[in-house]
Amino acid sequence: MLVLRRRAGESLLIGDDIEIELLELTPQGAKIGIRAPRETIVLRKELKITREQNAQAARGPASGDLGKALPGIFSQQLKNFPSNR
Amino acid sequence: MTLVQTKYFGTMSYEDESVFDFPVGLPAFEEERRFVFIEIAEHAPLVFLQSLSHASLCFLALPVSSADPDYRLAVSVEDRAVLELPLEREPRPEDGMLALALVSLHDGFSATANLMAPIVVNVRTRRALQAIRMDRRYSHQHPVRQLTIAPVCEGAC
Repeated sequence: MLVLRRRAGESLLIGDDIEIELLELTPQGAKIGIRAPRETIVLRKELKITREQNAQAARGPASGDLGKALPGIFSQQLKNFPSNR
Repeated sequence: MTLVQTKYFGTMSYEDESVFDFPVGLPAFEEERRFVFIEIAEHAPLVFLQSLSHASLCFLALPVSSADPDYRLAVSVEDRAVLELPLEREPRPEDGMLALALVSLHDGFSATANLMAPIVVNVRTRRALQAIRMDRRYSHQHPVRQLTIAPVCEGAC
Protein backbone atom coordinates (compact mmCIF):
# COMPACT_ATOMS: atom_id res chain seq x y z
CA MET A 1 0.00 0.00 0.00
CA LEU A 2 1.25 3.44 -0.89
CA VAL A 3 1.21 5.68 2.17
CA LEU A 4 1.30 9.48 1.82
CA ARG A 5 1.17 12.18 4.45
CA ARG A 6 -1.17 15.07 3.58
CA ARG A 7 -2.29 18.17 5.45
CA ALA A 8 -5.76 19.69 5.34
CA GLY A 9 -6.25 21.46 2.01
CA GLU A 10 -3.80 19.22 0.17
CA SER A 11 -4.80 16.85 -2.60
CA LEU A 12 -3.60 13.81 -4.38
CA LEU A 13 -4.40 12.53 -7.84
CA ILE A 14 -5.23 9.00 -8.98
CA GLY A 15 -4.77 8.64 -12.71
CA ASP A 16 -5.81 11.58 -14.88
CA ASP A 17 -9.27 12.29 -13.60
CA ILE A 18 -9.63 11.40 -9.91
CA GLU A 19 -8.66 13.93 -7.24
CA ILE A 20 -8.87 13.27 -3.51
CA GLU A 21 -8.67 16.32 -1.28
CA LEU A 22 -8.18 16.21 2.47
CA LEU A 23 -10.58 18.96 3.52
CA GLU A 24 -10.50 18.87 7.29
CA LEU A 25 -8.94 16.87 10.10
CA THR A 26 -10.72 16.52 13.43
CA PRO A 27 -10.43 14.05 16.31
CA GLN A 28 -13.69 12.50 14.98
CA GLY A 29 -12.19 11.78 11.59
CA ALA A 30 -10.97 13.21 8.32
CA LYS A 31 -13.29 14.98 5.89
CA ILE A 32 -12.39 13.95 2.37
CA GLY A 33 -13.53 15.46 -0.92
CA ILE A 34 -13.49 13.37 -4.08
CA ARG A 35 -13.57 14.68 -7.63
CA ALA A 36 -14.14 11.87 -10.09
CA PRO A 37 -15.99 11.21 -13.37
CA ARG A 38 -19.71 10.67 -12.93
CA GLU A 39 -19.45 7.01 -13.94
CA THR A 40 -16.89 6.23 -11.23
CA ILE A 41 -18.59 4.54 -8.31
CA VAL A 42 -17.44 5.84 -4.92
CA LEU A 43 -18.60 3.79 -1.94
CA ARG A 44 -17.71 3.69 1.72
CA LYS A 45 -16.07 0.31 2.10
CA GLU A 46 -18.41 -0.60 4.98
CA LEU A 47 -21.35 -0.12 2.61
CA LYS A 48 -19.88 -2.53 0.07
CA ILE A 49 -19.22 -5.08 2.84
CA THR A 50 -22.78 -4.62 4.12
CA ARG A 51 -24.26 -5.12 0.64
CA GLU A 52 -22.33 -8.35 0.21
CA GLN A 53 -23.12 -9.56 3.72
CA ASN A 54 -26.84 -8.78 3.25
CA ALA A 55 -26.87 -10.75 0.01
CA GLN A 56 -25.40 -13.70 1.86
CA ALA A 57 -27.78 -13.32 4.80
CA ALA A 58 -30.74 -13.25 2.40
CA ARG A 59 -29.86 -16.68 1.05
CA GLY A 60 -30.51 -18.34 4.44
CA PRO A 61 -31.81 -21.90 4.66
CA ALA A 62 -34.14 -23.01 1.85
CA SER A 63 -37.77 -22.49 2.76
CA GLY A 64 -38.45 -26.10 3.69
CA ASP A 65 -35.12 -26.62 5.45
CA LEU A 66 -35.41 -24.35 8.44
CA GLY A 67 -36.23 -27.11 10.91
CA LYS A 68 -33.27 -29.14 9.69
CA ALA A 69 -30.77 -26.32 9.21
CA LEU A 70 -31.10 -24.42 12.47
CA PRO A 71 -30.77 -27.26 14.98
CA GLY A 72 -27.89 -28.65 12.90
CA ILE A 73 -25.96 -25.41 12.99
CA PHE A 74 -26.72 -24.18 16.43
CA SER A 75 -26.81 -27.38 18.44
CA GLN A 76 -23.39 -28.28 17.08
CA GLN A 77 -22.09 -24.99 18.38
CA LEU A 78 -23.82 -25.37 21.71
CA LYS A 79 -22.03 -28.65 22.30
CA ASN A 80 -18.78 -26.72 22.29
CA PHE A 81 -19.80 -24.86 25.39
CA PRO A 82 -18.68 -26.29 28.70
CA SER A 83 -22.01 -25.59 30.35
CA ASN A 84 -23.82 -27.58 27.68
CA ARG A 85 -21.68 -30.69 27.56
CA MET B 1 -55.60 -8.09 9.77
CA THR B 2 -53.67 -8.87 6.60
CA LEU B 3 -52.29 -12.14 5.30
CA VAL B 4 -48.71 -12.62 4.11
CA GLN B 5 -47.02 -15.56 2.46
CA THR B 6 -43.83 -16.18 4.46
CA LYS B 7 -40.67 -18.00 3.43
CA TYR B 8 -40.59 -20.39 6.38
CA PHE B 9 -43.95 -20.44 8.13
CA GLY B 10 -46.58 -20.61 5.39
CA THR B 11 -49.32 -17.98 5.40
CA MET B 12 -49.45 -15.78 8.49
CA SER B 13 -51.61 -12.87 9.50
CA TYR B 14 -50.38 -9.59 10.89
CA GLU B 15 -51.76 -6.31 12.15
CA ASP B 16 -50.94 -3.32 9.99
CA GLU B 17 -49.53 -1.54 13.07
CA SER B 18 -46.91 -4.26 13.47
CA VAL B 19 -45.22 -3.56 10.12
CA PHE B 20 -41.74 -2.06 10.24
CA ASP B 21 -40.99 0.67 7.76
CA PHE B 22 -37.46 0.79 6.30
CA PRO B 23 -37.59 4.20 4.61
CA VAL B 24 -34.34 3.57 2.69
CA GLY B 25 -34.53 -0.22 2.45
CA LEU B 26 -31.36 -2.16 3.22
CA PRO B 27 -28.08 -2.05 1.27
CA ALA B 28 -28.51 -4.39 -1.73
CA PHE B 29 -32.26 -4.46 -0.97
CA GLU B 30 -33.11 -0.79 -1.35
CA GLU B 31 -36.63 -1.50 -2.65
CA GLU B 32 -37.59 -3.60 0.37
CA ARG B 33 -39.34 -1.09 2.59
CA ARG B 34 -41.80 -3.13 4.64
CA PHE B 35 -41.06 -6.08 6.92
CA VAL B 36 -42.78 -7.96 9.70
CA PHE B 37 -40.69 -9.46 12.49
CA ILE B 38 -41.66 -13.04 13.32
CA GLU B 39 -40.67 -14.59 16.65
CA ILE B 40 -41.20 -18.33 17.09
CA ALA B 41 -40.64 -19.75 20.58
CA GLU B 42 -38.78 -22.84 19.39
CA HIS B 43 -36.26 -20.69 17.49
CA ALA B 44 -35.75 -18.00 20.16
CA PRO B 45 -33.82 -15.74 20.33
CA LEU B 46 -33.86 -15.68 16.51
CA VAL B 47 -36.11 -13.12 14.89
CA PHE B 48 -37.27 -13.59 11.29
CA LEU B 49 -37.46 -10.41 9.23
CA GLN B 50 -40.03 -11.28 6.57
CA SER B 51 -40.34 -8.98 3.57
CA LEU B 52 -43.91 -8.01 2.71
CA SER B 53 -43.08 -7.56 -0.97
CA HIS B 54 -41.22 -10.83 -1.60
CA ALA B 55 -42.22 -14.01 0.23
CA SER B 56 -38.83 -15.55 -0.61
CA LEU B 57 -36.95 -12.82 1.29
CA CYS B 58 -36.68 -13.50 5.00
CA PHE B 59 -33.62 -12.53 7.03
CA LEU B 60 -32.62 -14.36 10.19
CA ALA B 61 -31.56 -11.97 12.92
CA LEU B 62 -30.51 -11.94 16.55
CA PRO B 63 -30.71 -9.25 19.20
CA VAL B 64 -27.17 -7.83 19.24
CA SER B 65 -26.91 -8.67 22.94
CA SER B 66 -27.47 -12.36 22.14
CA ALA B 67 -24.46 -12.32 19.83
CA ASP B 68 -22.32 -10.19 22.16
CA PRO B 69 -23.58 -9.40 25.68
CA ASP B 70 -21.23 -6.39 25.88
CA TYR B 71 -22.26 -4.88 22.55
CA ARG B 72 -22.13 -1.08 22.44
CA LEU B 73 -24.18 0.72 19.82
CA ALA B 74 -22.81 3.51 17.65
CA VAL B 75 -25.62 5.06 15.61
CA SER B 76 -24.85 8.19 13.59
CA VAL B 77 -26.84 11.36 14.17
CA GLU B 78 -28.23 11.08 10.62
CA ASP B 79 -29.49 7.55 11.30
CA ARG B 80 -30.97 8.61 14.65
CA ALA B 81 -32.87 11.36 12.85
CA VAL B 82 -34.34 8.88 10.33
CA LEU B 83 -35.33 6.62 13.23
CA GLU B 84 -36.84 9.52 15.20
CA LEU B 85 -34.65 8.61 18.18
CA PRO B 86 -32.95 11.17 20.48
CA LEU B 87 -30.26 13.04 18.55
CA GLU B 88 -28.08 14.09 21.46
CA ARG B 89 -27.01 10.63 22.66
CA GLU B 90 -26.90 6.96 21.71
CA PRO B 91 -30.36 5.35 21.67
CA ARG B 92 -31.29 3.13 24.60
CA PRO B 93 -33.84 0.34 25.03
CA GLU B 94 -36.02 2.68 27.10
CA ASP B 95 -36.34 4.91 24.01
CA GLY B 96 -38.12 2.01 22.32
CA MET B 97 -34.92 1.07 20.51
CA LEU B 98 -34.18 -2.48 19.44
CA ALA B 99 -30.98 -3.58 17.67
CA LEU B 100 -30.76 -6.82 15.67
CA ALA B 101 -27.82 -8.38 13.85
CA LEU B 102 -28.50 -10.14 10.56
CA VAL B 103 -27.36 -13.77 10.59
CA SER B 104 -25.54 -15.48 7.72
CA LEU B 105 -25.15 -19.22 7.44
CA HIS B 106 -21.96 -20.68 6.01
CA ASP B 107 -21.89 -24.07 4.28
CA GLY B 108 -24.62 -25.34 6.56
CA PHE B 109 -22.23 -25.66 9.49
CA SER B 110 -21.71 -22.30 11.09
CA ALA B 111 -23.43 -18.99 11.55
CA THR B 112 -22.19 -15.43 11.87
CA ALA B 113 -23.90 -12.20 12.87
CA ASN B 114 -23.23 -8.82 11.27
CA LEU B 115 -22.36 -6.66 14.27
CA MET B 116 -20.81 -4.00 12.03
CA ALA B 117 -24.19 -3.04 10.59
CA PRO B 118 -27.05 -3.79 13.00
CA ILE B 119 -30.70 -3.27 12.11
CA VAL B 120 -31.81 -0.55 14.50
CA VAL B 121 -35.51 -0.15 15.13
CA ASN B 122 -37.71 2.39 16.86
CA VAL B 123 -40.51 0.13 18.06
CA ARG B 124 -42.68 3.16 18.90
CA THR B 125 -42.65 4.74 15.45
CA ARG B 126 -42.03 1.40 13.65
CA ARG B 127 -39.14 2.91 11.70
CA ALA B 128 -36.04 0.84 11.03
CA LEU B 129 -32.77 1.00 9.14
CA GLN B 130 -29.44 -0.73 8.89
CA ALA B 131 -27.04 1.46 10.87
CA ILE B 132 -23.58 0.87 9.41
CA ARG B 133 -20.92 1.65 12.00
CA MET B 134 -18.14 4.06 11.14
CA ASP B 135 -15.67 2.38 13.48
CA ARG B 136 -13.96 -0.98 13.19
CA ARG B 137 -14.98 -2.21 16.59
CA TYR B 138 -17.17 -5.12 15.52
CA SER B 139 -17.00 -7.71 12.78
CA HIS B 140 -19.48 -8.14 9.95
CA GLN B 141 -18.97 -11.88 10.51
CA HIS B 142 -19.08 -12.31 14.27
CA PRO B 143 -19.28 -16.04 15.14
CA VAL B 144 -22.48 -16.86 17.02
CA ARG B 145 -21.22 -19.81 19.00
CA GLN B 146 -22.87 -18.58 22.17
CA LEU B 147 -26.28 -18.27 20.57
CA THR B 148 -29.27 -19.30 22.67
CA ILE B 149 -27.13 -20.26 25.67
CA ALA B 150 -29.28 -18.27 28.06
CA PRO B 151 -32.71 -19.30 26.70
CA VAL B 152 -31.60 -22.92 26.33
CA CYS B 153 -30.56 -23.02 29.97
CA GLU B 154 -33.76 -21.37 31.13
CA GLY B 155 -35.75 -24.22 29.67
CA ALA B 156 -33.39 -27.16 29.88
CA CYS B 157 -30.94 -26.63 32.73
